Amino acid sequence: MTSTTVTTFYGAVNNGAFWHWPTLLHFCLVALAGGVALLVAYRALTSERFGWRLPALSVALIALDMIVLWAESLARWRLTHVYLFLSIRPASAIWWGAWGLAGSAVLGLLLAFGWGPRRLWGALLVVTSTMALLYPGLALAANSARPLWTPLLLAFMPVTGLLLAWGLALLFRQRDLRPAVGVLALASGLLGGLYLVGLATGDLAAREGLHHLWSEGGPWFVAALAAMVLAPTLLRRYPAAAALLVVAGAVLARTLLVEIGAYMPPLL
Amino acid sequence: MARYAMAIDLSACVGCAACAVACKLENEVPPGVSRLWIRLEESGTFPDLSLQYRPEQCMQCADPPCVPVCPTGASHINEDGIVLVDAETCIACGACIAACPYGARYFDERGFVGKCTFCEHRLAEGRVPACVETCPTLCRSFGDLDDPDSDVSRAIRAAQRVDVLKPEQGTHPKLVYLNAPARFGLGREGMAR
Amino acid sequence: MKRREFLKLSAASVGALMLAPEGQALKLPNPLARAPRAWYEGEVSTVLTYCENCFWKCGVRASVADGRVWKVDGYEANPKSRGRLCPRGQGAVAQTYDPDRLKRPLIRVEGTARGDGKYREASWDEALSVIASGMLAIKERYGSESMAFFAHGSGDTWFGDYLPAAWATPNVGKPSVSLCTGPRETAAQWTFGRGIGGHEPIDWENTDYMVLIGHHIGEDTHNTQLQDFSLALKRGAKLVVVDPRFSVAASKADRWMPIRPGTDTALLLAWLHVLITEELYDKAYVERYTIGIDKLTEHVQPYTPEWAAPITDLDPDAIRAVARELAAHAPRAVLPPGRHTVWYGNDTQRMRAVYLINALLGNYGVEGGFYLAQPPYIEKYPHPAFPLEPASGGCSGASGAAAETIETGYRDAVDHGTFFAKTTAVQELIPAMITGEPYRIAGLVAYGVNLFHSIPDVERTKEALKKLDLYVAIDVLPMDHVMWADVILPEATYLERYDDLVEIAHKTPFIELRQPAVAPMWDTKPGWWIARELGHKLGLQEYFDWPDIETYLDKRLASIGSSLEQAKKVGTLVQRGRPYLTDWEQRNLDPFGTPSGKIELYSQTFADAGFDPMPTFEPPEEGPVGSYRLLYGRTPVHTFAKTQNNWVLMEMHGDNAVWIHPAEAKAQGLANGDYVWLENQDGVRDGPVAVFATERLRRDCVYLVHGFGHRAPDMKVANGRGASDTALMSRYRLDPISGGAGLRVNFVKLVPGAPRPRLPRLTRLAERSV
Ligand SMILES: Nc1nc2c(c(=O)[nH]1)N[C@H]1C(S)=C(S)[C@@H](COP(=O)(O)OP(=O)(O)OC[C@H]3O[C@@H](n4cnc5c(=O)[nH]c(N)nc54)[C@H](O)[C@@H]3O)O[C@H]1N2
Ligand SMILES: Nc1nc2c(c(=O)[nH]1)N[C@H]1C(S)=C(S)[C@@H](COP(=O)(O)OP(=O)(O)OC[C@H]3O[C@@H](n4cnc5c(=O)[nH]c(N)nc54)[C@H](O)[C@@H]3O)O[C@H]1N2
Ligand code: SF4
Ligand code: SF4
Ligand code: SF4
Ligand code: SF4
Ligand code: SF4
Ligand SMILES: [Mo]
Repeated sequence: MTSTTVTTFYGAVNNGAFWHWPTLLHFCLVALAGGVALLVAYRALTSERFGWRLPALSVALIALDMIVLWAESLARWRLTHVYLFLSIRPASAIWWGAWGLAGSAVLGLLLAFGWGPRRLWGALLVVTSTMALLYPGLALAANSARPLWTPLLLAFMPVTGLLLAWGLALLFRQRDLRPAVGVLALASGLLGGLYLVGLATGDLAAREGLHHLWSEGGPWFVAALAAMVLAPTLLRRYPAAAALLVVAGAVLARTLLVEIGAYMPPLL
Repeated sequence: MARYAMAIDLSACVGCAACAVACKLENEVPPGVSRLWIRLEESGTFPDLSLQYRPEQCMQCADPPCVPVCPTGASHINEDGIVLVDAETCIACGACIAACPYGARYFDERGFVGKCTFCEHRLAEGRVPACVETCPTLCRSFGDLDDPDSDVSRAIRAAQRVDVLKPEQGTHPKLVYLNAPARFGLGREGMAR
Repeated sequence: MKRREFLKLSAASVGALMLAPEGQALKLPNPLARAPRAWYEGEVSTVLTYCENCFWKCGVRASVADGRVWKVDGYEANPKSRGRLCPRGQGAVAQTYDPDRLKRPLIRVEGTARGDGKYREASWDEALSVIASGMLAIKERYGSESMAFFAHGSGDTWFGDYLPAAWATPNVGKPSVSLCTGPRETAAQWTFGRGIGGHEPIDWENTDYMVLIGHHIGEDTHNTQLQDFSLALKRGAKLVVVDPRFSVAASKADRWMPIRPGTDTALLLAWLHVLITEELYDKAYVERYTIGIDKLTEHVQPYTPEWAAPITDLDPDAIRAVARELAAHAPRAVLPPGRHTVWYGNDTQRMRAVYLINALLGNYGVEGGFYLAQPPYIEKYPHPAFPLEPASGGCSGASGAAAETIETGYRDAVDHGTFFAKTTAVQELIPAMITGEPYRIAGLVAYGVNLFHSIPDVERTKEALKKLDLYVAIDVLPMDHVMWADVILPEATYLERYDDLVEIAHKTPFIELRQPAVAPMWDTKPGWWIARELGHKLGLQEYFDWPDIETYLDKRLASIGSSLEQAKKVGTLVQRGRPYLTDWEQRNLDPFGTPSGKIELYSQTFADAGFDPMPTFEPPEEGPVGSYRLLYGRTPVHTFAKTQNNWVLMEMHGDNAVWIHPAEAKAQGLANGDYVWLENQDGVRDGPVAVFATERLRRDCVYLVHGFGHRAPDMKVANGRGASDTALMSRYRLDPISGGAGLRVNFVKLVPGAPRPRLPRLTRLAERSV
């Protein structure tokens, strides 16, 4: 039967965006903060000449991220954020993120001031900064009703996050990161491709999601992946350009996934 | 220690929205957001038509994705199985809104997340939820799933069919739809039995 | 493994690892994070009263905290609400706290014309003095009859009955008669010898088969009726719905008959034909309680289902089947009268046909059919006899044939003689304001009547208002028509006032008390106070000798051995009734007030008056080509045109759209959501309004929900949303018997290219609520 279905509503449906642009910005800043913190840890563990600037920078980035989050929070003036640290919520990505960033900040300060056992701090910082890098992927992948936020983001988000941070670091004469950036860029492109294939070959919801992603900005997403895949070829001759490409690609890809990815298929 | 649940008989519901209006006022739900809204669906071609009016609200999931994602414990399940938000520990991070498969939660501008509470304040006084009490078609039943004589248990037993929304999400809703018009049936499995 | 399960596992393990369960956060004393205190957490008191968001009058329990009503609920002991309220009743609270309410008396700025909308605030004393002197001047010049009163709502006891009677004018109109129930009341009066009354006396609890003619229960959300209807369906009663539109009721029906608009009488005649020619009717009942079956038998011979089929566009077998099913379920089978029955101008005859079928089914005064509704017993306040009693009728008032006008020495109502029934037709009082024939109506008090949204031919109404010497509006909102008045009196809303007692004719007759839950906001006053003060200024002290409403009510309640004090506690006083014929026969009382003392299948009275003594079918006239018949009805969440400034209800349903069949829309290149103008046969335009292309409607008509399309800048929420069906009703067809104004005789075209209206966001407007 040629059956049409018309749907209307009585009452306001709660379909407003729940994560606005500051959250998108946060998901990039947290990557930056985490990535730089991890770099600090790496230096703390490996290099002999270890200055105060880099750890200070990582702390500054965390602070900046916190300010953005605070500024957008509806609970801005309610001082409820302390509860993040007064309960044990290991199933909550945000709880991990909070501890990761807090820990990284403390360790960053200790390292900046050169107090205490640097190597131990460095080792711990590896853990906390990794928590910070992992949490956005966890926060998205947890929402199984939103087909664009697939488990693959558990890998895609940290990898692009680290790429974003270390790509930027390239611009500040951290030459030795080139090979790492190259690998991360290729990995990002690969994961991005797998992500799309996963959607295309997934269940109905996944395919609906892909269609939505495509109509809302698919070409941009592909462009972002392309940028990250192409960058390594430029790394030798034009490191700056390559760095800019990966950073742009990572930022764009992450932003699109958080913004468009919130999509939930209509209830039947 | 109850396991409260609600059932809505879609064969009787006329989509009048008395429940939705009652909820708004009983719970001072701010303009522009809802704990309860009505979906009206028409299907078919003249004169072979079918209508469904489906009130939608928090499913009071037995296995609620909105709880584990909460970083402060504000989003919790009380001893009667009701999923609640404690406004005093909520940081309005939105994780639970993202996690809810049913769009049942909303930001309250006052700095926390709001949702259906099964009108627990009324239950405390031995009254049924506002939406259940006022329904002019008597198509809503409420009560304790563990009590075989509760309205809701009896209504579910008597029903021709029992549907839940998005059973594939494994949320095991404690809000179920009874006797949905054939053309709109959803598939029985997945309710909290 | 499900993602969440995976996360949980990790949670568990880590939780264990940290030697702490996934626990509640430990709480700090944090004043900044306090959850806002809910209204019910404080001291809550409750007040029993009854709802005014429509005219059904459900008993409500208002919950008051901090001097504010937060919530209303029904209460069990009240036969109207039975502990439940409809969406409009639930939302009524928002009317009281509407910032756009009329707040103080207003007087039109000297030198401005009616309709300019320029007003200055005035004291009650000044406003009432202006009105009194205006009325006295009219009495002086033309006689008291030249003042007209239009009234609707609980307060119509003051402004439709008490004050006009004391003042002595027969020109009192209520929209609930000639724009609503007129035809069904008149038909019932001359068929059964008693009207239907405000609460349709259908024995829903016992019926097994229901046929709705129009009557869109579910969208029509008269609370108790919806409850009874729903319970009947739950019990397994069969339902047939006759409606050109797939109404909500139709969606619950066992059989939907999408009839061609205006042809119902043909269908009803065919049913009579089958019932009689196949001898399916209740012979014993008909023999015992009716007259004229032989004449009727002869009359219906030609009206076969095959005759009706092409007229009604229905399948003859379906028609025949329903008649047989009706008979099979009789007497527990019923055709309810519906309420809004002013459709095509020959509506009394259609309603007669409905009643004749019920009579043949033997269900009148029998379980599962119509019960006999009795009004409760209570005495009037002992005032001196009024000079005259206007036959304003109304749901609660006298029905189709009010007692023959007793000689009063006053002139008859200006509509007297323009139609058969004795009740006054509100719209027929308007020409006399323009023409001065048979004599001039020079003054008008409009209490709770939506002159521009309820009465057809709005242009004529405006012309009439311009000609008046005095026009007073008593209302709660700055409605379109209100902002035309010379003097505007702001009434307190129902939650803020007393009213006269309502007497509900019912299976169990009952009396309801209206009492204030909170004090009136701003400088608003209750209707009783306004009537009394005005009465005194008009020199009618003798009728208003009661010092205050408490005294008045207590005196009346004393006549049934009760008191105001008791009534305030219980809210509703229920009495015993005589619902079935058997109850009457036991007391050997005659239930039928017809001339013959029986149910009149054949009406000699109609014959003598030159009308068909038995219903005949008269085809509705067609509209211009390319136009559609304009049909209209209710939305569950609104009442007429009075709730569109209520933010809660508007959040549910914020504007109307014009329903049209998709094929017709497509043919005109229109898609869902496009905006169009609606233009009627006389070139009158309204809109812009959105197109709603839906399979739920026949192709020969369009459908609008009544009540939208306000053009009232001071009603910030309602203003400019949707289109007004009334604006497009430049015509109506007068029912010569009941005086009802047939409203479904207008035709509209859809004119593409209308702009989408730019309107403030509802949410922002809602946040202004006081
Ligand atoms: N929510 C809500 N409920 C209300 C009211 C309200 O304002 N809001 N008002 C109350 C009052 S006072 C009244 S009078 C009632 C009115 O409510 P009803 O008495 O039910 O009014 P009707 O005009 O019989 O019903 C309208 C239906 O008639 C159909 N119709 C149109 N033309 C024809 C026709 O030619 N033949 C047939 N068979 N059907 C046709 C329309 O498609 C529509 O579905 O509602 C009452 N209930
Ligand atoms: N086009 C069209 N016309 C119709 C109908 C239709 O469906 N379409 N329906 C017809 C029917 S069935 C009926 S019963 C009539 C109804 O006719 P009305 O009763 O005139 O309809 P409402 O729009 O409810 O108008 C009520 C008026 O009373 C005011 N009001 C509300 N509450 C109070 C109060 O507490 N005190 C005072 N003083 N005023 C108050 C409102 O602001 C509004 O101005 O309309 C009839 N006219
Ligand atoms: S009140 Fe009852 S009938 Fe009305 S929409 Fe809600 S559930 Fe349905
Ligand atoms: S419906 Fe949504 S908010 Fe309600 S319990 Fe389930 S997941 Fe949580
Ligand atoms: S918004 Fe509040 S309730 Fe929801 S997850 Fe965040 S803290 Fe928990
Ligand atoms: S149970 Fe209470 S809070 Fe939940 S939808 Fe019903 S009225 Fe609203
Ligand atoms: S039917 Fe609804 S609006 Fe009318 S009186 Fe009852 S509750 Fe109020
Ligand atoms: Mo009416």
